[in-house]
Amino acid sequence: MRVTILAAAACLAFLGPIAAPAAGGPAAGKTVKIGVIADVTGGAGAYGTSQKNAYLLAQEDLAAHRIDAGGAVLQFDIEDSATDPAQVVTLTQKFSGDGTALLIGPTLSSEAKKADPIAVRAGLTILATSNTAQGITSLGPCVFRNSLAEEQVVPEALGKAIARWKVKTAAVIYGDDDQFTKSDYDIFNAALQAHHIGVVDVETFHKKDVDFKSQLTKIASKKPDLLVIGALQEEAVKIVAQAKQLGLNVHAIGGNGLNSPKFIQLAGPAAEGVVVGAAYYSGNGYAGNREFVQRYTKRFGSPPDQFAAQAYAAAQIAARAVKDGATTSEQFCSAFKRLPVVQTVLGPVAFAPNRDVRAASAILQVKGGAFAFFK
Amino acid sequence: MLQFFAQHSKLFDEIGINALLALSLSLSLRGGSLALAQAAFMGVAAYVGSIGAVRFGWNLAESVLAGALAAALVAALLALPIGRLRGVFLAIATIGFGEIARIAEINAPVTGGAEGFSNIPNDAGTLAIYAALAFAGAALLLFGRSKAALALAATREDENAARGVGIDVAAVRTRTLVAGAVIAGVAGVLYAHANFFITPGDFGFPRMEQILVSCVIGGVTSSLGAVLGAAVMTVLPEAVRFLHDYREVSTGAILLGFIVFAPGGIAGLWRRDA
Amino acid sequence: MILQQCANGIFLGAVYALFAIGYTLVFGVLDILNLAHAAIFMAAAFAALWLTSTGFPLPLAIAAAIVFAGLLGILLDRVAFAPLRRRNAGTLAPLISSIGAAIVIQGVARGIFGPDERNFPAGPLASTQFHLGPLTVGALDLVILAAALALMLLLSYVLRATPLGRNIRAVADDRIAAALLGINLERTIALTFFIASALGGAAGILIGLQYNSVSADMGGRIELKGLAIIILGGMGSVTGAVIGAFVLGLVETLAVASIGSSYRDAIAFGVMFVLLVLRPQGLLGKRALRAA
Repeated sequence: MRVTILAAAACLAFLGPIAAPAAGGPAAGKTVKIGVIADVTGGAGAYGTSQKNAYLLAQEDLAAHRIDAGGAVLQFDIEDSATDPAQVVTLTQKFSGDGTALLIGPTLSSEAKKADPIAVRAGLTILATSNTAQGITSLGPCVFRNSLAEEQVVPEALGKAIARWKVKTAAVIYGDDDQFTKSDYDIFNAALQAHHIGVVDVETFHKKDVDFKSQLTKIASKKPDLLVIGALQEEAVKIVAQAKQLGLNVHAIGGNGLNSPKFIQLAGPAAEGVVVGAAYYSGNGYAGNREFVQRYTKRFGSPPDQFAAQAYAAAQIAARAVKDGATTSEQFCSAFKRLPVVQTVLGPVAFAPNRDVRAASAILQVKGGAFAFFK
Repeated sequence: MLQFFAQHSKLFDEIGINALLALSLSLSLRGGSLALAQAAFMGVAAYVGSIGAVRFGWNLAESVLAGALAAALVAALLALPIGRLRGVFLAIATIGFGEIARIAEINAPVTGGAEGFSNIPNDAGTLAIYAALAFAGAALLLFGRSKAALALAATREDENAARGVGIDVAAVRTRTLVAGAVIAGVAGVLYAHANFFITPGDFGFPRMEQILVSCVIGGVTSSLGAVLGAAVMTVLPEAVRFLHDYREVSTGAILLGFIVFAPGGIAGLWRRDA
Repeated sequence: MILQQCANGIFLGAVYALFAIGYTLVFGVLDILNLAHAAIFMAAAFAALWLTSTGFPLPLAIAAAIVFAGLLGILLDRVAFAPLRRRNAGTLAPLISSIGAAIVIQGVARGIFGPDERNFPAGPLASTQFHLGPLTVGALDLVILAAALALMLLLSYVLRATPLGRNIRAVADDRIAAALLGINLERTIALTFFIASALGGAAGILIGLQYNSVSADMGGRIELKGLAIIILGGMGSVTGAVIGAFVLGLVETLAVASIGSSYRDAIAFGVMFVLLVLRPQGLLGKRALRAA
């Protein structure tokens, strides 16, 4: 009898830990509210939809314990800001006052510049996953980003392009009414100067413009070796398409606004050969990435792009912080500051002291209708 | 009751601001002038007031004063070239002016450009807005009983006859435009301070259309009608949330309905000479 | 380079012209500024898009969408303008009415298709170019220019040489006299709307194809430019609208080429404003300062 009881107790003691597989973190059992603002519709809809998909997948993976949050529940509240700055502001206000512990987003750098100060004033920690312009993390002491800034990627991409194509002169076309595209111009321009490349023409356009022929014709007349494009996806598609229509057959390079499969799909043959300085290549061999790509493709019908990967990585980073005990905004802020290297689908990432991300870049080129490493 | 008010305070604020804008347009319409520049005046004042508040630390009263003055100045300048225009031509010219103002706001370096101007101090509460509305309403009521109002009505009825009895039609039109601009300017600064974020797109043709619709639904020549019309048009999108993506359709349908069946607007329903 | 820019300007002007003709036709005949014209422009583009996405061959889809636009124009008149005509409602009322109709049409389009940009399925036209001396022109551009010119010539023929055209011109000149002469007013007006809206719709479809971008707010961009064009050309003058459209297309393109794109839109409005102040009848308008 006593042996039976002892044996039963031993079995129960053995089964206990197995029955509670992910228990053990300081935040075990708690629910952490994470607010997500993404442009699922509107001009930046291509990016925001990828982001939303990634968070949906992340939620499933968290529930299935493929992402380890130390037994806590991460509750993602995903809101569509429709690429409308006013809605981004309203949503940021909402999240700043309803017990949300972490704000992920917004999608565009210009939206972040307008709305982040509101969250900063309210003490809400922000993790930006797709803001790549200059001056994002300086918006507040608890503003972090896991998206490689353009200034971290562009010089490398440009250097490769210049070497490969023996570039001597370049022309730039960029949007002068958006933080990201303006930032792209500043960064590309600085890099061009550093390489002593002659900038023969600079043209501008506005968001939602559809006709770029006059600007492109002027650029064509100056015969540059390289066309630099600072644009978001919708405009970038038309720029390369119209460049081709005008017979402007020149090497082209762009910032990560072009790093979207929709760009390739809509621009068709005009996108061939375009180089993009990016932060993610879906064929990379980092831990967990191949499975992520497989699951994402199966769930949503197309492979994940950079925006999806960065969003998923943000979820992985947030989960790690929660596992280490973060449940409130202040705790997230200090957890991120102390964060060790996290293995994400982007590869190993960590935050630099200035709250920007330390991660590898991916310089890509459109080849045969898909992105590949640029060699 | 108080809770309902607190929960929907944003909506009440919007009603107040839209009512002020509708009042400003109704003045010109009472004179028979289709001067569709109120949205532009609103925008100019909003930017002047906001830039002042952010850069120079003006408080709400100073912003409102500066904004209203700026709007009045712009209106006075605008009145000169458009003085001879009537009817549809006047409408088109003022719409064009509105677009020029919007593009200027996009390109001027101080305004933050197309992405908007942010971090405006959020100090315009419901009290300030309704105080302004009450003030404007009272002023218009007093105005309505004065000789100047008669002169305005005469200008609308028959311009040549009005001139014949010695009314300075040009001066009447200019003063009406400037007065309307002041009201629109006040609304603009209050809007900026209530929303702490403005973009040039807030003050373009869609806004102008909205103001015009409010006036028409309320009754083109009635101040009370303008306020009621603004209230209806502001609440409508919220009331028809259940229509989701088709919300706009109800706005257009109501406008059509009024124009075709009740051209006097809401005011016309109790008046007979609309 | 200037030659290429002129070509760009001409292609732009062609579509502007198609749109402006419908605008000015309705004004000339009925003294109505139809602000729902741009909404029909957009609705036709969506109709063509939807038809091609369900498998219709492109030329058929275009033709069907143009007819759809014309019919929508007749419906617009019946609902928004005819009742006002019956009670002699003046000129403010139809303007507001057209705004209401425009909001309804735009709202329906947004409800059905969503607010985002939609794209046509890729076709062979979009990527073929021709080289004519120093110029490079896309095959699509040429097709659009040809279509626009053909439609304008067709309209010109109808107005000048057919009984319908004569009736339209008579109603434009003097509505009461025309009625007295036995012209069926309502029928003529309905047909005027059909033609004007069909042309506006054609403009929408062609622009949608040219830039491969159809969205519920695409009418907003061209609507105000259209105003500038008809003022430039003279309200009520079809020839004026065509000339005004090409002039604006060229001026805009050359301006972007020389001073940059930030103020491109301001040019149209600046010109319009100056004209209204100095010469409201535009280049060829007959109606000067009518107490409209």
